[in-house]
Amino acid sequence: MKPMVLISTQFITFREIKVKDIDLIEDAMCLNTEFFDVIDLLRQINEVPERCLTTSLIKKIRKKV
Amino acid sequence: MNNTISDYELILRFIKGEESCFEKLIHRHKNKVFAYISLYIRDQALAEDIFQDTFLKVIQSVKAGKYSDNGKFISWVMRIAHNLIIDHFRRIKQMNTISNDNYESDIFNSKSFAEDNVEDDMIKRQIQKDVRNMISHLPDDQREVVILRHYAGLSFKEIADITDVSINTALGRMRYALINMRRIMIDKKISLTID
Repeated sequence: MKPMVLISTQFITFREIKVKDIDLIEDAMCLNTEFFDVIDLLRQINEVPERCLTTSLIKKIRKKV
Repeated sequence: MNNTISDYELILRFIKGEESCFEKLIHRHKNKVFAYISLYIRDQALAEDIFQDTFLKVIQSVKAGKYSDNGKFISWVMRIAHNLIIDHFRRIKQMNTISNDNYESDIFNSKSFAEDNVEDDMIKRQIQKDVRNMISHLPDDQREVVILRHYAGLSFKEIADITDVSINTALGRMRYALINMRRIMIDKKISLTID
């Protein structure tokens, strides 16, 4: 008779669970897994303000302060 | 070391007179705030105005002592941006001059891309244009959740707070948005590569 082997998922400690930058509610709903193709597309957009816009904002703030 | 300074610490220093601290806050959060506004508004010039107004209003409120820290400076800023956007649409509605679907504009002329390769650049632009169109076809409530989650980086709890709905409603809107976008992807044959 073969000895019994551990086939269940390995236990991980609380510290091993990565929660940084993860929305646990979203994770629980498995949205990122189920819609990975759509989310990959969404990641293609990277909206960044132009440098001159930020510079002019900072100038306005300096005038106000 | 500066990266470890919390938003609240920077605000306190700003109130005490260190102007540069607010500039640090702007640099830390500008991309998220701008992404939210520009994807929602879509009119580049208007988005830039609201972006600046948002931070000017933040300064006013901070100076007036209206900010109390709960560790969520960015979601407070987003709420201010959200209110300014709503004010804008209210004004438009009152003026009754422009319909919601009449603000199509091309904002690619302001975007910078790292690639030198012209063909890659064109493909990238086309995909980005498709994705923007895909987002713009969503109903307002679904579009807002997508932008706040994926471009402003807010949690569902924060999104629920800003949009005054329950977390379940926010999650439901996201699910519907993703289903709708997948449908659009299939209908319009949008993918990460161009045939």
